[in-house]
Amino acid sequence: MVLNIRQISKSYKTVRALQQVSFDVPENCVYGILGPNGSGKTTLLGILLDILKPDSGTFQWFGQGGNAEIRKKIGSLLETPNFYSYLSGAENLRITQSVSGRGRAKDIDDVLHTVGLHNRRWAPFKNYSLGMKQRLAIAAALLGNPKVLVLDEPTNGLDPAGIAEVRELIVQLYRRGHTIIMASHLLDEVEKVCTHVAILKNGQLLASGSTEEILSEEDIVELGAENITQLKELAAGLGGKMLENHHTNGLIHISFPKGKIRPEEINRYCFERGIILQHLALKRKKLETLFFELTGK
Amino acid sequence: MLHLLYTEWLKMRKYTAFWWMMGLTALSYPGINYIFYNVYSQLTQQSDKASQYAKMMLGNPFAFPEVWQTVAYFSSWFVFIPAVMVIMFISNEYSFKTHRQNIIDGWSRNEFITGKLLDVAAVTLIITILYIIVSLVTGSLNSTGASGKFREKTHFIGLFFLQTFAQLSIAFFIGFLLKKAFLALGVFLFYFLILENIIIGLLRFKQWKIANYLPLEISDRLIPRPGFMYLTNAEEYRKDLDAIPLHVALTLLLTSAIWFYVYRQFNRIDLK
Repeated sequence: MVLNIRQISKSYKTVRALQQVSFDVPENCVYGILGPNGSGKTTLLGILLDILKPDSGTFQWFGQGGNAEIRKKIGSLLETPNFYSYLSGAENLRITQSVSGRGRAKDIDDVLHTVGLHNRRWAPFKNYSLGMKQRLAIAAALLGNPKVLVLDEPTNGLDPAGIAEVRELIVQLYRRGHTIIMASHLLDEVEKVCTHVAILKNGQLLASGSTEEILSEEDIVELGAENITQLKELAAGLGGKMLENHHTNGLIHISFPKGKIRPEEINRYCFERGIILQHLALKRKKLETLFFELTGK
Repeated sequence: MLHLLYTEWLKMRKYTAFWWMMGLTALSYPGINYIFYNVYSQLTQQSDKASQYAKMMLGNPFAFPEVWQTVAYFSSWFVFIPAVMVIMFISNEYSFKTHRQNIIDGWSRNEFITGKLLDVAAVTLIITILYIIVSLVTGSLNSTGASGKFREKTHFIGLFFLQTFAQLSIAFFIGFLLKKAFLALGVFLFYFLILENIIIGLLRFKQWKIANYLPLEISDRLIPRPGFMYLTNAEEYRKDLDAIPLHVALTLLLTSAIWFYVYRQFNRIDLK
């Protein structure tokens, strides 16, 4: 295991930011920590990186308690990019290198190339755009090719091309055996890259595990017919759970326990009752659907 | 240790304000001594009787061995310039949130504070070297053949180092607590230049000895005024010289307490 989190709680005055959160992060995965704003994602990462002190609970990186030597091996980006504004991007990375001991002088050039900042490496950080600052923070996390990366909202401030590049970078790192722990509220982004997820709401862990496991507990059937009202009435008799908030483009979605329904049965059921289906698809449950169900949003 | 100092150097070497402050320090320490040396020269180098009388009364505070104390005393007036620099060391980290980033990147909280402690020690060392150079140059220009007296009063080098380190530690402490540079600078300068002097004045007026034990006064008393400034009050001068060991102990105590609190607090708090 890369990380074990046990019963971590944290309060700020009257706000309970984390309530007995426990989960494990295995090696070589992309672990997404999801949750709405204020759900405790950044607080959790802050505790794991010794920026915040938990009220109770423990965590272990690589089977050891969190300490400075272990943090040196982890490339991290927490909240906003924090750099010395009067120094250039390259000079700031020199400080990251000196503090962490990760990488050599040549590696600074390499990571700046990777994030597309090499030609602006000598410009002062204060003159960087929001997206460039984010890229520099990602470069700092990548310095020295750490086996574990902690990325808090890594695509913040990036344009669509930048978001795609970061997503591709995360996938590549995962394929090369790295472990990436990322917090995000962008569900689509997480679904595209994460192998595991933990879902937080109001500091409580609602679900955690591999994306495959979490999303495969239910089958979603997508149906469409000329008379959608009649179809909805009829579908109620199928025994599944109508997903009221997620019918789009004249289609309805019904959730069934995994393996309990076959498309041909639905087609026959509708046909025998005088409804000709124009659309029938068995879909994997989307992370977004699960997220809204769990968080009640 | 050297690694921490090197990283601190990486942070500072391109910081324009740091070099401005270093430049001001490098000018002010010799400058203030040069001004007083000129005043002394003008008072004593005339051929009239008043000048001869002044020379007899004042002696030569710019010759060895008195120069060690004289330069240390006048130079210590300008400790607020490096204090500005020291406050910037910590307030910059807060404003850029790099105090968090350094920990995230792998420093322990103790290492971060040790880096700052080394900053303060390094600035103190630079200033002490500057003081030694000014004293040597001034003393050499004013001494004639009394080489045996060169080593007398060199203990003021150690006292100057301790006083500067103690007062810069107080500046750092204010920056550490208040976090914002302008606020911390304002509070320190107001206290250093105005408030403590008013309090001391009031307490002395009431003849309360506690005036000698205010935070900056504790270390101010490591370097008493040069002998000529006491004029005929030799008794008070002797008492001030005798009190130096007590003030060394108190300064060490206060400075240790400051750094102990800083280490302890930085290890306990959430870094926001």
